[in-house]
Amino acid sequence: MRKNKQVITSTGVAVREKPLGLRIWNNRGYYLMFLPVFIFVIIMNYWPMLGIRYAFYDYKPVGQPDWVGLEHFSKMFSTSAFWTAFKNTLELSIVRLLITTFASVIISVFLNEMGNLMAKKTLQTVIYLPHFMSWAVVASIFSLLLSPSSTGMVNGWLKDLGFIAQEQSGIYFLADSKWWRPIFYGINIWKETGWGTIIFLATLSGINPELYEAADIDGATRMQKIRYVTFPALSNTIITVLILNLAKVMNMFEPVFVLYNNAVYDVSDVISTYVYRQTFAIALPNYGYSTAVGLFKSLVGGALVLICNWASKKTRGRGIV
Amino acid sequence: MKKKLVSMLLTAAMVASLAACGGESAEPAADSGNSETAAPAETQEAPAQDSAAETPAAPAEGGYKLEKINMVVDGNLSATLDNGQADFEKQWEEAVGVDIQIQQLDHSGYTDAVGRLFASGDYPDVMIMPADILGQYLPTVLLWDITEAYDNADFQNRMLLPAINEALRVKGSGRLYGFSPTYGNGCVTYVKKAWMDALGINVDDIKTYDDYYTMLKRFHEEDPDGNGINGDTYGVVAAGFIGNEAPYINYLPEFWQDAYPALIQGSDGIWYDGFQTEETKAALLRLQKAYAEGLIDPETLTASTKIAREKWYSNDQKGSCGVFTYWAGRWYQTLTNNFVKNDVDPELVQLPPIEEVGAYINREAPVWVIIDDGDGDNAREQAIFDAFFETMMDGDVVQTLWTYGAEDVHWSIHAEEFVTNPDDPEKRKEYSYEEGVFHLKPSITDPNSLWAKNLFDPNLVVCELTNGYGDPSDLLVTGSKFFSEHSKDAPMSPVSETYTNESGTIYDAKLAVITSVVIDGGDVDAAMQTYVSTVGSIIDQCLSELNG
Repeated sequence: MRKNKQVITSTGVAVREKPLGLRIWNNRGYYLMFLPVFIFVIIMNYWPMLGIRYAFYDYKPVGQPDWVGLEHFSKMFSTSAFWTAFKNTLELSIVRLLITTFASVIISVFLNEMGNLMAKKTLQTVIYLPHFMSWAVVASIFSLLLSPSSTGMVNGWLKDLGFIAQEQSGIYFLADSKWWRPIFYGINIWKETGWGTIIFLATLSGINPELYEAADIDGATRMQKIRYVTFPALSNTIITVLILNLAKVMNMFEPVFVLYNNAVYDVSDVISTYVYRQTFAIALPNYGYSTAVGLFKSLVGGALVLICNWASKKTRGRGIV
Repeated sequence: MKKKLVSMLLTAAMVASLAACGGESAEPAADSGNSETAAPAETQEAPAQDSAAETPAAPAEGGYKLEKINMVVDGNLSATLDNGQADFEKQWEEAVGVDIQIQQLDHSGYTDAVGRLFASGDYPDVMIMPADILGQYLPTVLLWDITEAYDNADFQNRMLLPAINEALRVKGSGRLYGFSPTYGNGCVTYVKKAWMDALGINVDDIKTYDDYYTMLKRFHEEDPDGNGINGDTYGVVAAGFIGNEAPYINYLPEFWQDAYPALIQGSDGIWYDGFQTEETKAALLRLQKAYAEGLIDPETLTASTKIAREKWYSNDQKGSCGVFTYWAGRWYQTLTNNFVKNDVDPELVQLPPIEEVGAYINREAPVWVIIDDGDGDNAREQAIFDAFFETMMDGDVVQTLWTYGAEDVHWSIHAEEFVTNPDDPEKRKEYSYEEGVFHLKPSITDPNSLWAKNLFDPNLVVCELTNGYGDPSDLLVTGSKFFSEHSKDAPMSPVSETYTNESGTIYDAKLAVITSVVIDGGDVDAAMQTYVSTVGSIIDQCLSELNG
């Protein structure tokens, strides 16, 4: 007869562990409540993963899938457009993450230093609002503002201020490889920085006021208090935010999709938009190839999660997964 | 207790969401199966539920009793859900005696929506397909061979334009897999009459590319809109420098001229890549020069057709253009209506093709296809042909439904009076019709405009209406006549497996060349060399399949 192992309860008492079946029965209410979640996850998250197998097939909207082995991966790795998209995905995502996090930290500190509560709350509301606009709307607004035609507001200002000659054409910001990325980052800062401040403001509100009082007694200036009290207190949160978001860098799609165009593929095309075009821009798409690219993207994303987990353990003493 | 209650509610919500997901996905599958699997079983029973036996949908020669047709269509069907589709559907069902389920997909994303539909296994019975896509679906054996059904169709004796469908036959075998009820139509170049008058330009003087170019230059550099500012207008706007579907060049024909930047069959029957020709290079240089001089609206690179249209007839003409090449016939009327709506001088001039263009391009007509269920028995497919295609061209009730929409909803022959723009003294127009006179009614979604057509442009249809119902729009008739007098047929689209697989990559490579040359002012030979190094081997493979 198998002997049940002992477990230590929260009060430190050693008791014999009950059999699994009995434990489930005793907690049947919780298991019953968990069951729909379990089914939901299986159906919505794991069942679709069976489609991964099509990365090894020629799979078109009509007809039966044909096994092609690693042919799609071979084609993918030999296609320059794929590597351009891969490089852009990493560059755009990481730079966007760094600058929006940096901007969020700076704005959080400024908000934290504001003495007028009404002004602080108003400003917070104003900078949160862009987050709630859809990317499609944001793209439409900025396309109008940055239009190169005579109706474009930014180009109009540049002409009025003499940066561009009146008879000269306006700058096509969204169709010029030199300008597209700065504009992209700028729009991202405008849209997401406010929302990003929430977590940092929460951290700032948790800093022990005695630290500031001690700094005051030591004769620290406001800048010194920010440097020696505020920033160190934020550092752990900054690293957590960076690590958590780093795991998602391969998933960039919507902000790029609504702002890019064929003139700037070299600096804007990311893996998701590349897959989109390969899948939906042709009459009889080969879903096998799209799946292969998607699978590769998922593998890289999975590797990034593991790297971030490792980095988290190193820096914070605990992992994120 | 409170927590338990919340937990139970959350659990119930989760279960409900799962059930809802299951319900949504199961329903189309069941519908889809209805016509393909359930129908044969029904042929065993004598249908006695309605008067279908007296209708064109009576059991076909094979004894097949068709009960329902699932139809997929793009945005060309004007009777949308908001615009009287239910009435159209009801009247069609009454006339034909078969249920019809209309699934109208987004027009701009139609191609990929069709792909997704097929991938989900949700096959319709009939659907509309652009001609270039038809070619790509031919090798899939998904499309029913309509050759015999078409050759023996009753509408053959009313056929006015047989060449349209003859051109769809597969070279060599002569088999036919789709039916086109209209010819393709194409784009013509419209010029704002008010702008021409303001600058003293006469349309008869625009005969060559140089004349055309000079006109664009004056539209850009002078003040055609009369707002006192020179240089705030452009010559021409388009939705892209090249289209993503055949015939590719129809929005800027004056610049492309004799170039055809796609796989094309020469007069000797040999396929070649028209994009790599000297004609295309010359066209790119023309576009480059015009773009650099500001004659082409810079947003042409990214504009959709909707944006290009709206810029053209915008209420504020600052930043607008004098020239716009767009669809002939019905659009002549529609564009004019939009100018009226926006309080802009509505008079448009149709520019006869300049010498270098010769003729506008009549695109390959979109076709209707029947999806083969692959059971080896043609009874179901023949029944669909009889119920759908034969009635579509009956010259009377059903053809009128497809042409003008539902009676007393979109059009009428009953005496009535109505007013459009009743609150605007300048635009107000009164209409009065006597009993028996065919007329179009106000649009449901825009009561200040008259309804124009349903699916068929009456001037493009291959079999004429025998009931004498005609669209009273002068502009539509004038526009269609102008186009038919100044057009030539588009080259045939290629059918090649490699092209089917790689058309997206090839298109991207072409766009890269166009951007490099036209927008960035790059060297055309260098850009073309990049094109060859990027997709040259793919093009060679396509040509080898096409010429093999």
